[in-house]
Amino acid sequence: MNKKINFNAQVYSIKKNGILFIFILLCVFLSIITPGFLSWANILNILRQSSIIGVMAIGTTFVIIGAGFDISVGSLLALSAAMCVGLQYYMHWSLAILLVLIVGALVGMLNGFLTAKIHIPAIIATLGTMTIVRGLVYLYTGGYPLYVEAPDFAFIGNGYLGPIPFPVVILVIMVAFWQFILVRTRFGRYACALGGNKEAVRLSGVKVDYYHILTFVVGGLMASMAGVIYAARLLSVTPLAGQGYELDAIASTVIGGTSVSGGEGSVVRTLVGVLLLNIIANVFNLLGIHIYVQYVIKGAIILSAVGFDTYSKFRE
Amino acid sequence: MGENGAGKSTLIKVLVGAYKRNSGEIYFNHQKAEFDSPAQAFQNGINVIYQENSLIPQLTVIQNIFLGAERFTPLGLIDENKIYQEYLSISEKLGFELPPHEEARNLGVAEQKLVEILKALIHKTKFIIMDEPTASLSENEIEHLFRIIAELKSNHISILYITHILGEVFRIADRITVLRDGKKIKTVFTKEVNREEVITMMVGESLKNAYISPPTGGKKSQQPILKVENLRRKPRVNGVSFEAYPGEVLGITGLMGAGKTELSRLIFGADKLGGGQILVNDKPVRFHSPLDAVNQSISLVPEDRKKDALVLMLELYKNITLPTLAQFVNKGVISSRKEFDITRQYIKKLDIKTSGVNQVVKYLSGGNQQKVAISKWLQTEPKVLILDEPTRGIDVNAKVEIYNIVGKLAESGVCVIFVSSEVSEVVKVSDRILVLSRGKISGEFKRGVSQEEIMRIILQADK
Repeated sequence: MNKKINFNAQVYSIKKNGILFIFILLCVFLSIITPGFLSWANILNILRQSSIIGVMAIGTTFVIIGAGFDISVGSLLALSAAMCVGLQYYMHWSLAILLVLIVGALVGMLNGFLTAKIHIPAIIATLGTMTIVRGLVYLYTGGYPLYVEAPDFAFIGNGYLGPIPFPVVILVIMVAFWQFILVRTRFGRYACALGGNKEAVRLSGVKVDYYHILTFVVGGLMASMAGVIYAARLLSVTPLAGQGYELDAIASTVIGGTSVSGGEGSVVRTLVGVLLLNIIANVFNLLGIHIYVQYVIKGAIILSAVGFDTYSKFRE
Repeated sequence: MGENGAGKSTLIKVLVGAYKRNSGEIYFNHQKAEFDSPAQAFQNGINVIYQENSLIPQLTVIQNIFLGAERFTPLGLIDENKIYQEYLSISEKLGFELPPHEEARNLGVAEQKLVEILKALIHKTKFIIMDEPTASLSENEIEHLFRIIAELKSNHISILYITHILGEVFRIADRITVLRDGKKIKTVFTKEVNREEVITMMVGESLKNAYISPPTGGKKSQQPILKVENLRRKPRVNGVSFEAYPGEVLGITGLMGAGKTELSRLIFGADKLGGGQILVNDKPVRFHSPLDAVNQSISLVPEDRKKDALVLMLELYKNITLPTLAQFVNKGVISSRKEFDITRQYIKKLDIKTSGVNQVVKYLSGGNQQKVAISKWLQTEPKVLILDEPTRGIDVNAKVEIYNIVGKLAESGVCVIFVSSEVSEVVKVSDRILVLSRGKISGEFKRGVSQEEIMRIILQADK
């Protein structure tokens, strides 16, 4: 009996940290075959490339831990970026950012409401809001790209804090902050618990719907923040921005070991998932592998990561 | 036969290939058998009727029975007529009366079991394994099942009947094999043994006495802590009124489906009230959610541990502190050290067998899981603790421990409402007993009433 427990604990910890081993192995491997891979410039470059999806994936992690799903974040990124640029015609950029974040949180709240209160399956609910939000982007932009020229605002996307790109600073702070929320606060604990068994948590006298909705609010908020960084980096937004980003965010989250059936996950490991996907794309580009092939391989990686999780659960 | 955890269900699963066996051989009809899956065993004429139902809820009775054995017309279409004729002849032979075109989800538990048996017969099964088939049946339904088993026997179908209930084996079994701790203790002819001998085989010597000692009930105070008046919720609760006092163990018993679980959930605010009133300390209260009940110091340990009581993938301490997490939060931050301390206290107090506070609850045994479910509510310091079937599916040792916990709680002034369909244990632990029949209270008894007296009331009210 004791042996069985230890064995299970071992499987559990491999599952939890396997992604780290793979990540480190990959980095070692790449640094050997690609000179300059471990150079400061290249590392910062990879981090900066990861920052937008990284920030978005933090929210996705909360949603998936709560046994939800949110495919509207790509559209929401576009709306946030467009508004962030457009609103600056009327107000200071800081105020625009604030408004955009509120809109993001509200869209998240709507997703949560539809899922937790109206009981629409999360993937369908967010499919609906995804379509609505994308429509709003077209309505807001009139179908044309928007531009902005504001050096202060541009700093968010292009500036440096010492040697470190500012988007990377935001990413690191956000990962640390939300990991803390996940592990050390009531919201984080309840998010995991209700993802594992919502009815049991409800029968423990917890306001489950409130916390369930809150996970979606984090999802929307972080998608909006990613949109702000996106706008500040490019200083222009087309109505097609952010298409497919939700898939990258979800992929990073599940590659990071967050269970698709909810209940367990980690923001830090999601970050590792984001970096992993980015590094792989990076190397493929260096090796000159065609982008079409990259899609196929990326899909295979996602299926392996999720398959490992679901199949090992099934075997139990 | 064997207590819970003796290895009965595992043995069955190995037998039909649901689990891989490590070693050993299986012979069926004098031939070495090698089943990779239950489906293969099924094709070879071995059918298992599990504790849980395995029917497809949306299909009708007939569709379920003939699933995988449909009869076809020469054109390859399903021959409804032929199927119906076959159904009629076989159900007539066994004296079944099932509504053939009803969807399985609308049937009672007992009827669903009958459908499964019919399904086995249609598939030309020669050997039926029944895993605790009476676990969710009423007394009448059990009678019926036993008649059917006798009928099957006379039709040359062998039955492997798995149970931990002594009375059942002595009524229907020709031979008894007792398992304990995953090993066969002995196989005996039913005629040649008595109950005491079988109990000894099942539990070993040391436990026999512990099983008999009753916990001491607490004293009764004047003022009821909980009063419910005419509680209703269709279809299972049809006007229930009673009072419960601090320091007493109030037993509620009745048949499966009498409304016990539904009543417990109503009092706890888990379901919407259809009508009636709940009073705590003589003040009317309205519970919109379990949270409201918890705030009035009412707690419920639900019947279904895995589904309703625990988050199986989470660690022990996270489960225990779930209802009381606010106590462990300082300036918004959870103190894990405090959580560990409290969890260790409960591990010690309730003797939870675990590798530590960090163990994932999924890997605990049923009895220990139940203790975790109770611990988490003890931490809320409830004034009313409702335990719904707290000993279901756990071994004798753990049962005795749960009885003792109940006794101690009542002694310390908690009002414990002990809900169980096992009359024998209700009689043992309760100071006062309410009998529930079809959603109404059909009798009230004091401590000292005999099991037979209560059974008589239950069966009378059911007619």
